[in-house]
Amino acid sequence: MDEVTRAKLKAIKSRKLSPVENVQQAQERIAKLNKKINAFIELNPDALAQAEALERKIKRGGKTGKLAGLTIGIKSNINVKGLRVTCASRTLEDYVSTHDAEVIKRIRAADGIIVGMNNMDEFACGSSGETSAFGQTDNPAAPGHIPGGSSSGPAAAIASGMCDLCLGSDTGGSIRNPASHCGVIGVKPTYGLVPRQGLIDLAMSLDQIGPFSPDVYGAALLLEGIAGRNPNECVTLDVEKISYIDKLDAGIKGMRIGTSPKFRELTDPKVMSVIDGAIGKLRDLGAEVVEVELPHLEKGLPAYYLIMSVEFFSATRKFDGRKYGKRIEDVCGDEVLRRILRGRYISRKEYRGKYYQRALQVRTLIREELMAALDKVDVIVGPTVPKLPHKMGEKISVSAMYVYDYLTIPTNLAGICGGVIKAGEVGGIPVGLQVQGKALDEGEVLRTLRAFEAIL
Amino acid sequence: MRMLIGFEVHQQMATERKLYCDCPTNYQDVPPNTNVCPICTGMPGSKPMPPNEQAVNAAIEIALMLGCEIIVDKSIYIQRKHYDYPDLPSGYQRTSLPIGLNGELQGVRIREVHIEEDPGQYDPTAGTVDFNRSGVPLVEIVTEPDMHSPEEARKFLRQLVRVLEYSGRVRPEAGGAMRTDTNISLEGGGRVEVKNINSVKGAYRAIKFELMRQKAKLDRGESVTRETRAFLESQKITVPMRVKELEEDYRYIPDPDIFPLVIDSARVESISAEMFEAPHLRERRLVEQYGIDPAAASVMVSERELADFFEAVAKEIDPKLAATWFRTKLKKVLNYMKLSAADVNFTPNQIVSLLRMVDKGEITPEQGELILRELFKHPSDPRKLSRKLGLKRLKPAELRAAIAKVIRANPRAVKDYRAGKEEALNFLAGKVMGLTRGRADPREIVKLLSAKIMGRK
Repeated sequence: MDEVTRAKLKAIKSRKLSPVENVQQAQERIAKLNKKINAFIELNPDALAQAEALERKIKRGGKTGKLAGLTIGIKSNINVKGLRVTCASRTLEDYVSTHDAEVIKRIRAADGIIVGMNNMDEFACGSSGETSAFGQTDNPAAPGHIPGGSSSGPAAAIASGMCDLCLGSDTGGSIRNPASHCGVIGVKPTYGLVPRQGLIDLAMSLDQIGPFSPDVYGAALLLEGIAGRNPNECVTLDVEKISYIDKLDAGIKGMRIGTSPKFRELTDPKVMSVIDGAIGKLRDLGAEVVEVELPHLEKGLPAYYLIMSVEFFSATRKFDGRKYGKRIEDVCGDEVLRRILRGRYISRKEYRGKYYQRALQVRTLIREELMAALDKVDVIVGPTVPKLPHKMGEKISVSAMYVYDYLTIPTNLAGICGGVIKAGEVGGIPVGLQVQGKALDEGEVLRTLRAFEAIL
Repeated sequence: MRMLIGFEVHQQMATERKLYCDCPTNYQDVPPNTNVCPICTGMPGSKPMPPNEQAVNAAIEIALMLGCEIIVDKSIYIQRKHYDYPDLPSGYQRTSLPIGLNGELQGVRIREVHIEEDPGQYDPTAGTVDFNRSGVPLVEIVTEPDMHSPEEARKFLRQLVRVLEYSGRVRPEAGGAMRTDTNISLEGGGRVEVKNINSVKGAYRAIKFELMRQKAKLDRGESVTRETRAFLESQKITVPMRVKELEEDYRYIPDPDIFPLVIDSARVESISAEMFEAPHLRERRLVEQYGIDPAAASVMVSERELADFFEAVAKEIDPKLAATWFRTKLKKVLNYMKLSAADVNFTPNQIVSLLRMVDKGEITPEQGELILRELFKHPSDPRKLSRKLGLKRLKPAELRAAIAKVIRANPRAVKDYRAGKEEALNFLAGKVMGLTRGRADPREIVKLLSAKIMGRK
């Protein structure tokens, strides 16, 4: 596969492509495609001016950041000062952000250019991109199918080449699921590696911001740009400078790769056969593939929906109608309301210890199970989503929707990292290979993804 | 009828910055909504910064002063307490689990001490909210129901206020810095919680009112049901709160955005080594160390700065003389000038030399008081002030001469006094004082006058 980001950066550095031209190209492509795909719901009116400023700096011979001139789309739950950060909800349709999220500050410092805000499932509550109050997003890789969610806009923007890179967020699979359906690279970093200051909450103990990219190089580059300790928030890992690019092309010869029989149990055989093929290729690249036991994996799903709902209920109390115009319960969609009401119900005093505490116990169990498995291997590989995306407009049940998250949720519950790359297709629909690594082993995950990318 | 009273006291801690952000805490000194940021206004996506260490240390110190055991080497979770009110920007208040447990003050058991964040200020009439106060750190002190009368409760609260002020870790009690929820029950009745009390006086009145109200109900054979009532300061009564407010379930969860606090014993030790001695302990020590009487010691420790000043003076001069002076003259001047001991800007040495002058009889105690007043205005050497005020004590011969002069000039009064009219002596003494312009000791004048008139030596 082409390393488009690496090529793009090279072109900008060698002045074959100016930042202004790059932004103009992105804007033209968005203007042409967005009507159908609906990946962006707000554009940055200052993008061109920012590109011009950067260009002046380059001409003066000034030092530029590692994202210099790249066009970046931002999921609509990450604060970008001066833009409407709506979470794709009527609740926040008039909320113009007053502050930059920490990741946005870092992107700006690295000279990345924010082109706009991406569509998403409302408040990141969804796995299909259909719950946005601003209309659903199409899947550019499989038109007419859902792009996955909740980071539907970022995945679709990358898949259709509207911009160079995107930021999404992943609470139970919201980066990896749409990356899989749209055939792009998506990485969910270790919990606490990327600052959450400025990320509008779904579930605070699980949320994590991560990159979307057409290639592994771009994902590694953007992750380098946003990762690392933030002294201005509590839950942040003590990690200073990191480099993923250095060892990206080191290959996987001799790497121990785990896979679990559990994956096959839970996954559509058509999807699984693509994954089997991918694992075979990893073996051909010199990795040693072994089986690991993940006996409780499927218990993650109910535990996740309890924990997430309680935290989401708490997080949405501020949308009381007094400050942002509309009370969330009055204007939100069904799925958001369902989660709020569930969270309100199970957090009642009389149910203390019955739901939330039990869910936290299951979470500990899943974490220990994954940690134990990752003690024996370097990474765990398998499918990302157990089934293929449904057609847009097709009604599926709530439980069928939740099933999309079976294989991605455990990563969040354990707080470890995971990345996705297109493994192949089933009837023209992309299928993503998920690579999970230990906490702070993003380097290993990216190296595995890159090794696979290099032979495509 | 046995009465049980317990308190939950909230007091703002004196830190420069708010609990979870860097905004300043001087909310009363600035225009509304200027000490704010995305964190203390709960803007979408904002996360708390790590808890202000100064505030945590202050709470540890207060807990120690109240004799609590500090929770050491264990996770102290910060919880979210959910409720819906305009002054609460996130729809929940962050409140910690106990930092200290099982303390005691004046025979009242302290159940726990923990930290909270203050909400903003809502003005229901104007329909506005000022978030300047939002996020100011609070300490909450919860007692057991160990008080049994309004007077006892008031005494405890006064003592508690003194301890808190003493620590120097709380904001001075002004503008609702202290808030108290009070639990009151009578034997045979349900527990009533009274909210919205903002002063010691208010607590006393609310308890008195509840005592009468509950007693009257029980006397009539009615039952006192468990409920929450609000104190109306202006009318000095309590009224039931709306049912909706009572049915609230706070749905506590540990805040996922904050790692739990962990306090190690080294931190407790260093705070303990640096902190001020609690006033009730200091009172006891002053009695033992300086031999002053307990009532005087109690006055001394009423303000930390006063006790500090006293101890500095008592090291140089007879502590009993110093104690008498502090209790009477110094307190009088402070009250008269509406000052607190913290405002004193003269030195202990200046007081010492003043007291020496009195002790040696160079000036009268009354003259001493005049110099003391002058000291507050123009701190300098008392001898210089004495000269400036012309307060040198009269020589005995001068005094005798003045007395003779007054006796000669007022034969009628002298006659009256001889005839047994005591007031006549005061009249004459006044004349002598006038003549000597206050430079003689009134007691001595009276003594000498009487002796002279009655012909005694």
